[in-house]
Amino acid sequence: MAYSMDIENAGKAVEIINQLAIFLRTARIHNISNSAVIAATDKFVDLVNELIDLEHTIVIEIRGEYLYFNANRIRYCPEHLLNLDYLIREFKKIEIGTIIIHSKISPEHIRIFIELFLKSDQSEAPFEYMRKGMSGIFCIELKKIQDISEDNFDRKKIARKTYFNAVSSYKDMFQKVRSDEKINLKKAKRIITSVIGQIIEQEQILLGITTIKDYDEYTYYHSANVSILSVALGRRMGMNHKMLIDLGMVSLFHDLGKIKIPYEVLNKPAKLSESEWSIVKNHPKWGVKSILKMRSLDPLTMNAALVAFEHHMNIDHSGYPQIKHRGELDLFSRIVSIADQYDAMISKRVYTKYPMSPDKALRELMEKSGDKLDSLILKFFVNMVGLYPIGTLVVLNSRELGLVYENNQEALHRPRIMIISDNNGNWISGPVVDLKEKNGNSGYLRTIIKTMHPKQYNINLAEYFL
Amino acid sequence: MEIHNELILIKNIIQGMQKAKKIVQIYPKNNPVYIKTLKDLSDQFNEFFQHSNLLQLHIAKNDILYDSESVYHDPEKHDNLALLFFKDGLRELTFKKGLTCKETEDFIKIIALDFERDIVEEDIVILFWEKDFDNIQYVVENSFLSEADDFEKEALNELQQEASGPDTLKEVYDEIFSEEDDDEKQEVILDITDKDLRLLLEELNNYALDKTEKYFNMLFELLSEAGKDHDYQDIINYFMAAISFSVKNGNLGAVTDVQEKLKQMIDDERTDEEIRKCAAKLLSFTGGYSIIELIGNMLNSGQEIEEKAFKRFFSLLEKDAILPFIKILGELKAMQARRLVIEALVYLGQKDISSIYSKLNDSKWYVVRNIVYILRKIGDIKTVPYLLKPLGHEDIRVRKEVIGTLGKLGGDKAVAALLECLKDPDMQVRKAALSALGNTGSAAAKKIIMEQISGRPFKEKSFDEKKLYFEALSRWKDEDVYAFLVKILAKKSFFITSKDYDNKACAAYGLGLIGRKEAVPLLNEYREISNKLLRNLHMLRFRG
Ligand SMILES: [Fe+2]
Ligand SMILES: [Fe+2]
Repeated sequence: MAYSMDIENAGKAVEIINQLAIFLRTARIHNISNSAVIAATDKFVDLVNELIDLEHTIVIEIRGEYLYFNANRIRYCPEHLLNLDYLIREFKKIEIGTIIIHSKISPEHIRIFIELFLKSDQSEAPFEYMRKGMSGIFCIELKKIQDISEDNFDRKKIARKTYFNAVSSYKDMFQKVRSDEKINLKKAKRIITSVIGQIIEQEQILLGITTIKDYDEYTYYHSANVSILSVALGRRMGMNHKMLIDLGMVSLFHDLGKIKIPYEVLNKPAKLSESEWSIVKNHPKWGVKSILKMRSLDPLTMNAALVAFEHHMNIDHSGYPQIKHRGELDLFSRIVSIADQYDAMISKRVYTKYPMSPDKALRELMEKSGDKLDSLILKFFVNMVGLYPIGTLVVLNSRELGLVYENNQEALHRPRIMIISDNNGNWISGPVVDLKEKNGNSGYLRTIIKTMHPKQYNINLAEYFL
Repeated sequence: MEIHNELILIKNIIQGMQKAKKIVQIYPKNNPVYIKTLKDLSDQFNEFFQHSNLLQLHIAKNDILYDSESVYHDPEKHDNLALLFFKDGLRELTFKKGLTCKETEDFIKIIALDFERDIVEEDIVILFWEKDFDNIQYVVENSFLSEADDFEKEALNELQQEASGPDTLKEVYDEIFSEEDDDEKQEVILDITDKDLRLLLEELNNYALDKTEKYFNMLFELLSEAGKDHDYQDIINYFMAAISFSVKNGNLGAVTDVQEKLKQMIDDERTDEEIRKCAAKLLSFTGGYSIIELIGNMLNSGQEIEEKAFKRFFSLLEKDAILPFIKILGELKAMQARRLVIEALVYLGQKDISSIYSKLNDSKWYVVRNIVYILRKIGDIKTVPYLLKPLGHEDIRVRKEVIGTLGKLGGDKAVAALLECLKDPDMQVRKAALSALGNTGSAAAKKIIMEQISGRPFKEKSFDEKKLYFEALSRWKDEDVYAFLVKILAKKSFFITSKDYDNKACAAYGLGLIGRKEAVPLLNEYREISNKLLRNLHMLRFRG
């Protein structure tokens, strides 16, 4: 029956991809004649040949941050996270976009593949090197990764629409809460699903949009950003869709208690007095109250109330509110704390001249790793936003200025940069360059020497990211 | 495949979906009809997938289209499958070859939900999305969600007005490049390792969707700080809602944890007076009508209840829970449920037996009987006077229960009351009273029975009733009784009337029940007077 076989095949697909990652990783660490490599290779060959009988062709493909096996997306789940991640990174490095297996293969074919793979680092053009080496092997075909920047314009427009749609409906929602209306979360949930959809499709573009901080209405944008950052992080951590929706909703309400803080205190353009500060510190508790007032009790409400209560606590309980019986903070609270602090630090606030640049904010967060912030989650966060998060204004040793445009997962300190000022100080728009590009044999073409805040020289990020 | 046939297959599938949708609404999961309907639908899908890899349907308001042919049409608003999809923005629905039975079932379960109820906060798209189907894809039109175009425009304008950069950076260029960043550029290693993933996996595996426990902890923190804002009542309300929520969800464990903490707070002398009052209020809330009635609903719905948690729950209640429990006891259907509630009442009744007495006047006979039963279980001899009134209850079932209870409680007063019952015109009552007298095991009762047997009117009783007297008497098995029985059996008289015969037979039966070996020769001697039934009976006793 074709029907049950397909389920089995789906399981085999994951297994095949896993094996592929295993022998490549093992070969990197040991060498090609290592017995573990040989065993993994043999297993891979068996699995492939078995499936070829049924499916005739096997296509393994990278699209965005996902692997596809015969057009089926391989699911992101923690068991496979490491191997999938590894494959995506390695393939991107070599610029392999697709591997097509047309017919049965032998261990010898794979041995050649591994050899080329190991040596491709040293090549200027790793993909071409590999393709050339594999050209005699007809059963395996390699295709180069597609450059997605061509259709970036449309994709950006979609992402932007999703973003503003989210902010706008959250604004409506918060206004309802303010006037004590009960709200139905159906619409908000729908919007979260579209946001998560965008995160899956084009995480980096959406993250880029969240770094634009020139709006006046801090609260709505902040809530939207924290929600987006939280679900993006949750997705990186391999959460399922149900958890992602919950996380997206819950994080949206983390600062709901702020609606009770007097306007003058919330927007005071100077340092807060002791008593004003103690008012601000009430917002977690007030958040709990507002959430409970707005909805009847169900698991989502409980979850939201908890996160509102805990999001400033810090994992060592050094934050606020102080509590008597200290337990471990909820996973969602730990995620939201990181997203919240990051977004707050890089936002334009009435009381600071310049917001912090994203990379500085990240450095500050990393200093809190382990005592105030959960180090494991923070690690995922840094991997997501990159060491130089999107939107960071960087000064290059080539006497050019640029904006971080996209992260290189495999080299977080060498992102892709949009050049905005040439070496004479003339404004230009583009090109987008890759800091991994080398000049000749040894050094890199460009390296970041420092970061600056765009506001320092009145550079308007929106021009580049919207 | 021929287009015509293909369309027929698809129409069948859609009909199958509608049928399955209805069946799933009505039948439980393990029902054969439920199982078969879903199986049929899966088979229909499979039949289609033998010829094709994809089933792509377009959704219009009143139609479902395949290749621009309508395969479903319904102009009505009610129960319109196309509209159900359409109104949530679904515009295309694709089933892929490989669709599993589980996916089919999940899909049907979603479309079978009652989306009209306002408590449902999901729509079809959210639920599909949550399920993350492998083999069902869909295209959604989201624009109806947003009135955000203006908002977007305004936001973009706002951004544009932010000054764009200076015309040139030439003047500041040297300045920009002169100062080095003081931050050293350490190459931070942030690779995610196997160990990280293991930790993550553990975290996600341990992640409980149920946050009740944490939530209560938070409420306790809020309660302990309630003095600051004087928001005691708010917090009490939060607790109450959460306790009700937990009970509704069958999470009695969470409630008992809360009760224990409340108890601790009440007992702790350092607890602030105001907070202690709140805690006491909450503790009594857990045993109040609203919560106990929720428990009653739960028990009546047949939902499994964890006995251990339930026992812990009621053991933490105060006496004011008695009346609520009695109330639900009258409404419970299942034996098992009644047993549990009775157990609770037996426990709580010891704290305040007078509340239990008060319900002996209830108008419903079965409540009274249950109360009597509870009093029997509590076993306090002081109860006897309270039982005299229900002893005259119009319902025989109550009277019998009372008699049995009197037998269990014993004591002079009980025995006296039972003696009165022996005069009752109803044989059933007399029978129960005899057995109860036997159960008291008291000397007074023994004396009464022997007196009754020896009394003149005894002869006039029916054989069956006489037998009951001897049966009751045989409970004592002591020398007295033995001698008494032997005496009757061996009684010589000039002529034996049939009544004497009755007594002897009964005595033989009584000896049989007592089961002493030395009675055997005697019984053999009088064998001829034992009728067949009795002989069989006493022989049985001596076997082995
Ligand atoms: Fe906050
Ligand atoms: Fe915040």
